[in-house]
Amino acid sequence: MKSLFGRAVHALSRIGDEIWLEPLQKGSVLPLFRSVATIERSVYRCEISINVLNNRVMFQFNCKHGITKTHNLRYQECEALQAVFPTHLCPNILKSQPKLLSDVVMHFPTSQEEITLSISPIKVKFKSYFEEENDHIRSVCTEMSVHPDEFDYFQVGVDSEATFCLKELRGLLSFAETHGLPVSVHFGAPGRPVSFSVEDMVLEAVVVLSTLVIAASENPSQVSIVQEAPVPRNISDVCPASTPIADNSVANISKHEGPLEAEVACVPSENSTFPLGEQVASSQGSPVFFPASFHMKNLLQLHREEMDLLRPKGMHSLLFGAVSSSMADGIASELPSLVCASDTEDDAGDDGVRVEE
Amino acid sequence: MPLSTQSQSGNDEYILVASLDNARNLSNILKAISFKDHAIFNVTQNGLKVTIEDSKCLQANAFIQADIFQEFTLKEDVVGFQVNLTVLLDCLTIFGGSTVPGVNTALRMCYNGYGYPLTLFLEEGGVVTVCKINTQEPEELIDFDFCSTNVTNKVILQSDSLKEAFSELDMTSEVLQLTMSPSHPYFRLSTFGNSGNAHYDYPKDSDMMELFQCTKTQTNRYKMSLLKPSTKALALSCKVSVRTDGRGFLSLQYLVRNDDGQICFVEYYCCPDEEVESNE
Repeated sequence: MKSLFGRAVHALSRIGDEIWLEPLQKGSVLPLFRSVATIERSVYRCEISINVLNNRVMFQFNCKHGITKTHNLRYQECEALQAVFPTHLCPNILKSQPKLLSDVVMHFPTSQEEITLSISPIKVKFKSYFEEENDHIRSVCTEMSVHPDEFDYFQVGVDSEATFCLKELRGLLSFAETHGLPVSVHFGAPGRPVSFSVEDMVLEAVVVLSTLVIAASENPSQVSIVQEAPVPRNISDVCPASTPIADNSVANISKHEGPLEAEVACVPSENSTFPLGEQVASSQGSPVFFPASFHMKNLLQLHREEMDLLRPKGMHSLLFGAVSSSMADGIASELPSLVCASDTEDDAGDDGVRVEE
Repeated sequence: MPLSTQSQSGNDEYILVASLDNARNLSNILKAISFKDHAIFNVTQNGLKVTIEDSKCLQANAFIQADIFQEFTLKEDVVGFQVNLTVLLDCLTIFGGSTVPGVNTALRMCYNGYGYPLTLFLEEGGVVTVCKINTQEPEELIDFDFCSTNVTNKVILQSDSLKEAFSELDMTSEVLQLTMSPSHPYFRLSTFGNSGNAHYDYPKDSDMMELFQCTKTQTNRYKMSLLKPSTKALALSCKVSVRTDGRGFLSLQYLVRNDDGQICFVEYYCCPDEEVESNE
């Protein structure tokens, strides 16, 4: 158990500086577990207790040769943070042995900050993500595709992609691999968090990461944000239940999906526990937003802010053009032109929301 | 004294000649005390004693006895001089200090007396290097007046267990506190750092504890910055003896085995940082 705990602390340390264990002061616990190898070799037992009167938490290690190491650390109380993420509502679920994901992740350079995981019924793709266009030129761009059969469990509810920080995932994967625990991945539309989790009889570890909102890419079915436009009209066609727009996951349905996906998406939103604008922080501070109950104008406004922050400039006008064009019917047929339009400066439905380059 | 015109007429002129087939038998042990530049050499018929001091509060000594050397000739009773230890170590390892088995740097160390440089003849693989290091008047050494009759508490530990403790010590703590007692906690190292305190307890019946002779409970604190260099000696050693006397002065003695399995000693003396009342 002790080595498990030590490794857990190590895995968590790759995510942030502060560790959560009945609240603790920053930077004080990790050094105690600095050398996992030493701990495995020499520590028999670790006892953790809290002395509320003195504001101390005590870690006591009983080690080989009768040696006892006692650490009394100061702590400060703070509010408990818990990511509220209903994994059971995620349309996309993958489960695999940790080695599969480790083998994939190991091919990315250690300096790679973010990767994009994209899913479709025929494959799962992992690709380097670069925020600035220039980074493309300077770094190695890695892309890997994995066949759905490689996964122990594969469910794709909506063709989607999730762009998140790789560092946090590496921590969890090395932990999972050491203990031979299969890793479950839950995610939905771009912008929604992605969760990586492992569990066994004695423990459960969940890492919830925020994801970036990606603009239109080459694959038309990926343009799920654009699809939000037709929601007010389409939703009643797809899903008879009166589902308010508040649930973002409902909004992001590709028109090309079959009945299965539609069912998944139509879970009534009162079960959705994502309140408006909830932010699930990652160490990179990637902004995440949920358009929730915004109607079209607000949607555009938010998109613009988002794009200003994140997107390669060439994409801005393209996206707005598509969104501001006439609703619903035109969308599907306009998708191919969106893709073409990305190569030009012209905007299909330019109504003045073009963002200056 | 023009160095380049020194005639090398064999051993007749030198008052000290010490030779080693393997210079590492000297350089390794000197590294264990090399936390300051200036080292004082005190040579007697018994061998070589090299001393480094810091802030008048810490003294480290390395003893390389005469029988470690393949040749050891001293024409006077006592010879003393001061050299820059960093320079000396650079010279001793001038061939790169590689640890290829069977390849050794041979050393012949010569000294002509007051005012003359310390001359080193180093040879490896047929290549000879001659180094002449300026010597200075030796500074007066502190006498810590630590004698066995005043020792109140003494333990001898196997170094491995202490090595681990020292590598984990909280360096944000300004002091290292040592508690030795005939009763619990017997032998305890404590630190008081930014985030809290830590204690390392060694019971008297631990199999790492080779000798346990504590007569009274004593707690003393020593500046961490002074003791930190001792970890180099600890790393080389297989055993360490820890002794405190009535004043709270600390003596650490390290048993070091060289490449040929011969035994040398390194010792550290340290003044306590503050007076802490001993409990009877």
